[in-house]
This record gives sequence, C-alpha cells and structure tokens, in this order.
Amino acid sequence: MARIKGSTLTNGARVAIIGGGPAGSFFSIFASKLARDIGRAIDFTIYEKKTFTNHGASGCNMCAGVVSESLVQTLAIEGVNLPSSVVRWGIESYFFHTQNGSVQIKSSRLQQRGIATIFRGGGPAGSSEQGVQSFDEFLLQKAVEQGAYVKHAFVDEVRLEGDKPILFSGGKILQDCDLLVGAFGVKAGTGRMYEKLGIGYKIPSTIKATQSEIELGSDWIASRFGHSIHIFLLHIPGIKFVSIIPKGDYITISMLGKKTDVEHIKTFLSHPVMKKMLPSGFKIPERFCHCFPKIIVGAARKPFANKLAFVGDASSVRLYKDGIGSAYITSKAAAYTALLHGVGEEDFRKHYLPVCKTLNRDNLFGQFLFSVNALISIVSPVNRSYFKLIQWEQKNLQKDTPNSDILWDMLTGSRFYKDIFFRTLNPWPTIYVLGAMVISSFRKVFFPHMRK
Amino acid sequence: MSEESLLGRLYKDGEIIVEEGIQSRSMYVIQSGKAKVVKSDEDGETILALLGEGDIFGEMSLFDAIPRSATVKAAGNTRVLAIEHEGLLKRIKMDPTLAFRIIRQMSQRIRDLNTRLIFAQETINHANNKLLQLNKTENVCIKDRETKLSHIVTQLQEKLHKLTEQFIQGDETLQ
Repeated sequence: MARIKGSTLTNGARVAIIGGGPAGSFFSIFASKLARDIGRAIDFTIYEKKTFTNHGASGCNMCAGVVSESLVQTLAIEGVNLPSSVVRWGIESYFFHTQNGSVQIKSSRLQQRGIATIFRGGGPAGSSEQGVQSFDEFLLQKAVEQGAYVKHAFVDEVRLEGDKPILFSGGKILQDCDLLVGAFGVKAGTGRMYEKLGIGYKIPSTIKATQSEIELGSDWIASRFGHSIHIFLLHIPGIKFVSIIPKGDYITISMLGKKTDVEHIKTFLSHPVMKKMLPSGFKIPERFCHCFPKIIVGAARKPFANKLAFVGDASSVRLYKDGIGSAYITSKAAAYTALLHGVGEEDFRKHYLPVCKTLNRDNLFGQFLFSVNALISIVSPVNRSYFKLIQWEQKNLQKDTPNSDILWDMLTGSRFYKDIFFRTLNPWPTIYVLGAMVISSFRKVFFPHMRK
Repeated sequence: MSEESLLGRLYKDGEIIVEEGIQSRSMYVIQSGKAKVVKSDEDGETILALLGEGDIFGEMSLFDAIPRSATVKAAGNTRVLAIEHEGLLKRIKMDPTLAFRIIRQMSQRIRDLNTRLIFAQETINHANNKLLQLNKTENVCIKDRETKLSHIVTQLQEKLHKLTEQFIQGDETLQ
C-alpha cells in the first residue's frame, strides 16, 4: 500500500528524525499527537546516539541550560509541566554586575519563579548529585509516550533514491523514509552531509562559546546567587559577556568572547567582583566540567526540500536567546506542515518557511538591540546614566518601568526583538541619559570634590 | 524535592489564588497540588470544581476583561504557574494551535456543565412528579412538610460538603 499520496503522509508512512535533542523530540511529540488526532498511523523513529543520562560531555547537548519564561509558560499550556527532577533552579530575576555596581532586574508583570535552569545531560562530569533528570531525556521520554521509537544509532550517510531519503550507518541501510527531519543541532559534520545532497541546504553560521560547571553547593548558591541569573560586564580582556546560571549544587559559567578558553574562566573567577560571590578560600578546581559549544548566529539556507525538513538549530533560531524555544517553534511548524499540508518542497515553502523567516527577520531587530546594548556598556558615561535609570526604576517597581521591562525582555527572550525595538523608540530614556551625562560632566568640572 | 528547583508560586492551604469579583487577566496552570473553585453567597461557599496538576484555570480572562466569576483557593500546598496575558495573546497570534488545549479544556467544561444541568433538571422534574403524586394519592399538603424537607436538604448539603472536603484532603477513609 502506498505510504504517501501526492505529498501527503498516509497510513504506514515512515518518518525518520535525526537527533533526539529538544528539536527532534518536539517534532515527534507534535507530529505523533496530530497524526493520532487526524486518524493516521504513522511511524516516527528518532535516531540519537547519545545517552542523555550520562554525566559529562558524552550525555550532554551542551548549552547554557535555561528554559525561557515564555517557553516554560508555553509548555505548561501544551500540557508539558517541567518536573522538579528536571528543573535545577527556579529563576525570578536577573542581576547585572558592572564596574559601576550591581542592579537586580525583576519582571514588572509576574512575581514568580518563571524561568527554569536545567541540565541537558545527566549533570556535570564527576557530579554525585542525586535525582537529577536530563531535560533532553525528559522530552525524549515524552516523545516515546506519544508513540515515537528511539534508536541509538549514528546516521553517517543519507542518500536520495529518486526522491526517497535512505539512511545508512557504517555502510548498512537503516531504513528508507517518506520524510526525513534533520534535528541534529550545531553538528557541522552532520550538517555538511546534507549540504552534499545538492538540495540547496546550507548550515547556519556559528560562534564559539565557553561553558563550565563549578560546584559550590546549593546552600552557598542560594545565599549568594539567590534565584537570579547573574550577568557580568566587567571589561576583562577577551571576554565580552559572562552569565552565571545557578543549577542546584553547581553554577554554570557561560562566556562569550574572542577565542575564550579555560584560562579566561580562571581569570574571570579571580576578578574582584566575582571573588565576592565565591566562598572564602575558594580555589579553582584543577579539573572541572567544561566545553566549547557553538552558538548559532545566522540562519540555515533553504531548511527544507522534497521529503526533507530541518528544525531547531539546524534551521533558524533566535539570536543569543531561547534556543530551546526556537526549537519548539520550528519543530511544531514543520510537524503541522508535514501532517496537515504535505511533505513536498512547495508545502514546506508555503507553510514552514514563513515561520523561519519570521525568526530571521526578528533577529535583525535583535542584532540592532544588542549592538546598542554593547555601545551602552562600552561608553562609560552612558553606561553610568543608564545604570542609574534602571536602579531608580527597580526601586520604584509600583510605577511604570519601561526600561527595565526592555532589559528583562532582552535578557529572558520573553518577547520578540521587533516588539522590544518599537518600545525603545520612546525618546524619554535617551533624554534622561543625555541629561544625566551633562549634569555629571558639569559636576566634575565645577565641583570636582563633590561626593557622588 | 528541593524548594529551589520549583517553578511558579507556592500557595498554602486555603490561600486565595484568584478572587471572585477582582479584575485580572492572568491565566494559571497547576504545577503540583490541588485547587478548588468556589462561589460564595450569603448561605456560604459552594464548591464548583476541584482542579489538579496540569489543569488550567482563569482562561476566561483571555477572552473578556470582566471581573473573575469565581474564587480559586489552594487545597493543600499548591504550586501554580501564572501565564501572562499579553505575552500569551502574542504567542497565540503567531501560533494559533497553542490555543487548542485551552479550547479543549473549555469545551470539556461546557460538556460537564451540560451534564450537570441535565442531571439537575432531571432531579427537579423527578421531585416535582413525586410531590404531585403524593399530593394526588395521599392528599399530603407539602406546606405541612416544609420544615422537615428543609431540614433534610440542609443535612444533605452538610454531608455533601463534608464528603467534598474529605475528597480534597485525599482522606482514605472516604467511603
């Protein structure tokens, strides 16, 4: 019996998903549910070679491990509540640390711990923490509950026979399929395999980040870091940006910069601002779990073809933020396209591509906003005035806090960049910052001994 | 279970999560524990529904801006995640399928209400018929029995209330 009619998947159709990370699992969850709702028996097989229960790099899909406020809420609405075994820490605020001091930023909308920090794998190498469940494993199990099969095999070759994708591992055929979903993340080697198929697909551009896990104990973390993610803009040579993400007994140090390495982590941990956050007598461990994952900063070219779709990091993601949320958006859009419209190239172009384009266009606004933010952090007088403005707003949370809200939405990824951009067009903050700069310069010239 | 690792906000037993008559536009999803939906009048509190983990409430505020129609209280320690109204509407605009589960739950509530309405209608009809029958066959004057009937109804209400409370507390002795 034909498994495909026109470009529509029919009973007995076979869908292969390459990668069991969030993108692959989300695709399987939504596609399996929808297939059941519309009364079609379709086979979904996820290929994943990693065992997410493993500690260290072998079980981890390396990222900062933050599930954004909007994704936590979206998943809850979808019926996926993150259990306490998966959520390592509930986050309610952000702290900004600069040379000029620190400021805490809270949401003016909801007073709750709405952001989740998670481990993608079983936890850091050498960790003895009990009861930790990997986020990726949790989602993969959800996909299995919906009826997907998981095969622990590595797909090292894909061929197109006619228009039918055929998967190979070590020279042996694994299966043919009626739809192949590429959810392999940022693995360039796997991505190039698809580029060579001649379908017009090109992997997105990436930059390198540095992640490390430092054990401090949950009591210390609760008292010093609270329920906050801490952002450091300290002008350390080679480091653009550091964030510290509390996760139970560990903190994750996520660093962006020019060719950052272990030495940069050590330099950061020795900085006076950071030292104040560490236990007295803290010594940097000789060995600690660290990795250098890639971060997507561009979009894939043509993330679809006839009977082929690419989702998650292999397709389009939001700039610097909410990678897992982007995986949710693209995977769901691809699943609905495949089940409701078809798996032909035109189906994906018409129904899936617009979703990718929305993310890509939004990233242009994001690029502009991050550039402005970088400029503010570089120019000290502007930085100081802006910092004071945020401090004032945070002390007066009962009033309108438009600038804090902009910063909150940029940090958390709770709103699209386009939405944030239009809110930044309010002229008053600029007038305030420029005014504060003039007053500050006036004081310096005419009252040099006056206390700040 | 570590307190730090939990999302949302914790409400203690009896604490009000949503108050009848108050206008607010957040929707809520229960992360753990139970909550009861109650309606108060001069005769006391009537439990309309009992909600559990994963249940959504306050979704009507998505579609209108009128004050809350009922109060929702924590039944035991309950952890609840609030869903911000404006952000949700923006996400639904981008992905209308996100509203499916909300619509499904609202549809289920309409079904439940229909069932309860039909049951209430049948009970009233049955009681009417019985009373008419009594009046005809035994020439019983209902007016004379009013006090006794009122007492029976009160007793039944008290029993029902006790049973509901036991159910909420997960009392194993419930028969």
